[in-house]
Amino acid sequence: MNFKEQRDNFRSKKVSAKEAVKDSINKINNDDLNIFINIFDSEAIKKAEFIDNNFDKFKDAPLAGVPIAHKDIFCTKGLPTTCGSKMLENFVPPYDSTVIKNCNEAGSVILGKTNMDEFAMGSSNETSYFGPVSNPWNSDLVPGGSSGGAAACVAAGITSISTGTDTGGSIRQPAALCGITGLKPTYGLVSRWGMIAFCSSMDQAGPFSKDAFGCAALLDAMSSYDSKDSTSTKRPDKNFENLLTKDFGSLKIGVIKDINSFGINSDVMGAYETSKTVLSGLGHELKEVDFSELSSGICSYYVIAPAECSSNLSRFDGVKYGYRASDQKDISKLYMETRSEAFGDEVKKRILIGTHVLSAGFYDAYYLQAQKVRRMIKNKFEDVFKNVDLVFMPTTLDQAFEKNRESNDPNRMYKEDLLTIPANLAGLPAISFPNGFKNNLPIGGQFVGNYFSEDLLLTTTHKIQEVSDWHKMTP
Amino acid sequence: MAQNDTLIKGWQPVIGLEVHVQLMTNTKLFSPAKNKFGEDANTLVDLIDMGLPGVLPVLNEGAMKQGIKFGLATSAKIAKTMIFDRKNYFYPDLPKGYQITQLHYPIVKEGVVEVNNKKIRIHQAHLEEDAGKSMHDKYDNKSVIDLNRSGVPLLEIVSEPDIRSAREAVDYLKKIHQIITYLDISDGNMSQGSMRCDANISIMKPDAEAYGTRAEIKNINSFKFVEKAINFEIKRQIKLLENGGTVEQETRLYDAVKDETRSMRTKEFANDYRYFPCPDLVPTNISNELIEEVRKGMDELPEEKEARFRSEYNLGDYEAQVLCAEKSTANFYEEVCKVTDPILSAKWIIGEVNALLNKHDVSLNQSNINSKNFSNLILKITDGTISGKIAKEVLEEMWEEGSDPIEIIKSKGLEQISDEGELETIAQAVIDNNSSQVEAYKSGKDKLFGFFVGQVMKETQGKANPGAVNEILKKLLSN
Amino acid sequence: MDKIELKNLLFLARISADEKEHPKIIEKLQNTFNLIDEMQDLDLSNLEPLNNPLELNNVSREDVNKNRNSKNEFLDNSPESDKDYFLVPKIIE
Repeated sequence: MNFKEQRDNFRSKKVSAKEAVKDSINKINNDDLNIFINIFDSEAIKKAEFIDNNFDKFKDAPLAGVPIAHKDIFCTKGLPTTCGSKMLENFVPPYDSTVIKNCNEAGSVILGKTNMDEFAMGSSNETSYFGPVSNPWNSDLVPGGSSGGAAACVAAGITSISTGTDTGGSIRQPAALCGITGLKPTYGLVSRWGMIAFCSSMDQAGPFSKDAFGCAALLDAMSSYDSKDSTSTKRPDKNFENLLTKDFGSLKIGVIKDINSFGINSDVMGAYETSKTVLSGLGHELKEVDFSELSSGICSYYVIAPAECSSNLSRFDGVKYGYRASDQKDISKLYMETRSEAFGDEVKKRILIGTHVLSAGFYDAYYLQAQKVRRMIKNKFEDVFKNVDLVFMPTTLDQAFEKNRESNDPNRMYKEDLLTIPANLAGLPAISFPNGFKNNLPIGGQFVGNYFSEDLLLTTTHKIQEVSDWHKMTP
Repeated sequence: MAQNDTLIKGWQPVIGLEVHVQLMTNTKLFSPAKNKFGEDANTLVDLIDMGLPGVLPVLNEGAMKQGIKFGLATSAKIAKTMIFDRKNYFYPDLPKGYQITQLHYPIVKEGVVEVNNKKIRIHQAHLEEDAGKSMHDKYDNKSVIDLNRSGVPLLEIVSEPDIRSAREAVDYLKKIHQIITYLDISDGNMSQGSMRCDANISIMKPDAEAYGTRAEIKNINSFKFVEKAINFEIKRQIKLLENGGTVEQETRLYDAVKDETRSMRTKEFANDYRYFPCPDLVPTNISNELIEEVRKGMDELPEEKEARFRSEYNLGDYEAQVLCAEKSTANFYEEVCKVTDPILSAKWIIGEVNALLNKHDVSLNQSNINSKNFSNLILKITDGTISGKIAKEVLEEMWEEGSDPIEIIKSKGLEQISDEGELETIAQAVIDNNSSQVEAYKSGKDKLFGFFVGQVMKETQGKANPGAVNEILKKLLSN
Repeated sequence: MDKIELKNLLFLARISADEKEHPKIIEKLQNTFNLIDEMQDLDLSNLEPLNNPLELNNVSREDVNKNRNSKNEFLDNSPESDKDYFLVPKIIE
């Protein structure tokens, strides 16, 4: 059942919120994909009853009576929030993140918190302290990451919507690998208050759903100007769901020149070519754009994200909350052992990289140079958007891959983010949607739009989904 | 570069001060928790001050305005755009593992203050957050952390190395203290830590082209210790260099008990703060409109007040300067002047009141003296109710008890006796009882006049109006 | 990157690692730097660094108190506390 059907059922009193929640909880109980880190079933049932009892108040809310799963990166007051780490295994935040608060007010019922790569650092959900998540299409494969649990949750039909965060592709890549739709909004559209920071200048929360419709409704709920986040942006109020019916007319859509040079798998390329035909068929004009700078994005990203994370994760020191190594007699040892025992290898590696690129003697060559690459990418996008309305490209290089993938290339996993990173560096909105199948596995394509063009991204995707079926496939 | 009168054994000390001033805002620099001293531990801690996962800083406009005020008061450049950076280091009272501060784009740059007719340049003043407090005495094997101070706004004022002696450093520090208290941006209380000082000290030969290597003394917490610590450090460096050693660039602590500075334990590795722009806060533009708004709301500065006191109250340079040294004293004086004679009041504040303050080492607003009771004291002197001598006695009483001088005079019967009939009776009795002295006086021993005055005073317990006594005695003795 | 650099890095990041593991860590980091270093060939001297994609003016808030303190909850969340303070092993200065 997709989001719209589920909400319609609630609004028409065909299915109560409580029944919807119970149905989802049953599915969670049968889940063997390790999608959830914590399940709040009794709280969920209580909340559903409350919504049912206040039907009139909630029936017109954007997420009325719909069960939702949140990535375990959003702080939930009184309910554990782990960020996929041993460090926060027993951490209970004393406050709600703005995303949680907004979703609660929009009438959704939180079922639990979904599994993720530790502190959102990973592209396969394998760095989670709570174990990897399996791909609903094939349990030997990864769902992608870092929002792997959230994407798998929707793909497996446990909920019709879920939240994720995207720092270098962490919404779009798992959306592609799980065959659902996922949107990374413009940096600053959704408040970061209460979202555990990985790379503050790129982190952005966004919606997952099977289709653009569900994403639009969830984005309506999630986004708000928030004075608690200095990088939150005031913008004219848009209702993304209502805008889905707007006719934006024939668009100029940029397609990447020499895209073969990026090492994209032929099945993914096949889907890409098919999608181009669909776009032309919908009356859009395809324009080739030269974007050879794209591939430098990855260098910039793997400097800036570790740099910011090395600082953001300094607060995890075993003093005020979270894990503390036992029996440490002096403060220096307490820090060392706490952080070594409670951070996983990938997190430690990125902290070390980030510490290095910020340290005396390396700052200019790494951090500053990376910020200049970032400028270059942003400038390039600005040029491109003078000539086209949207840029279209594959979301990933590959389809879902096997867990513990062996590779001759030690940087294989990092390169996974090649096509998603540029939008994060520039802070642009981007949407990934299912645009093909091969080997009974989904493939994703993505649009990147200009700042605050979420309406255009969602509506264009929605029009594609009106004439295609990829988003309706289920494992 | 060198200033001959400050050479010590042929060495020129070169000193720069970093003064941390806690700003008196309602709330913290990046959180809406109350900014207050002396509350119960960990009660003024917001989610943000805890450095909880997911929290974000939002800049307090009040702190920004106070920074601008300081810039305007020191003829400095106010940044068009200021940028906050993160300074990364681990310490248990630093909850985020970094301090938000300003490195390259501070709010204030290139200011200047005048100290004893010499200009001392301010390199920059920047906004940053204070850390919490760790205390080590509560348990044998534990330290305890109080985060009430975590996030309190600080303005760090960094001077150029323009200071040449410990004395000058203290005078500069007092000048900064005067400015911040005049601007009402800080209470400048060094004992409570709302003003703290680090000193960078090096020595050089007067003809040398470059400064020597400097040592930094951290966290000196009183004017007195600033002078002592710097003097100790200068001597240490001279001794070191003259014995063929070298000064190490290091951080040292001043031990007030032993009156010495000593090296802070050198860590295994050098610290590296890895400054970078705080990604949670984008660059902050400061508009001319905001600067003008702040300028309009600014109170009179010390120099302006001194000039006004000279013209409005006919005070000399010295009197005006002393009365304006502290804003609270100047305000007190103006309040008193509303009803009293400005010259007489000035004389009493500068003389007797200051003497009491110095003796007890407290400030005026911590004392029992207030403008109302002090005005009454001056009025009683002016209208002849009490003499200056009695007034001192009354002032002491006011100091101790905080009572009103009118009450003190009444209850202790201290009114001056000016009644000529009464005084004449007493004087006549003194003359009658001291006939030998009268004879001696009359035969030319003029100095004995004082004896008669003294006797009358003794009889009246000092309450006799001295002018009247003089006249009456002259009249009676010339008979 | 050599062993001394790694030791310094581990100290700055407050992460401990067995000496035996050091070569492996160095190799892993080196691999990542090989990827990153591809950007060193770009001549970007004419570009300003970009810290934040939204080049907007920072917002500030009014200096008004809002109480979100919950001392007991904060202290209860900590690994070690008494009724007033967070506790850590004795810091020797």
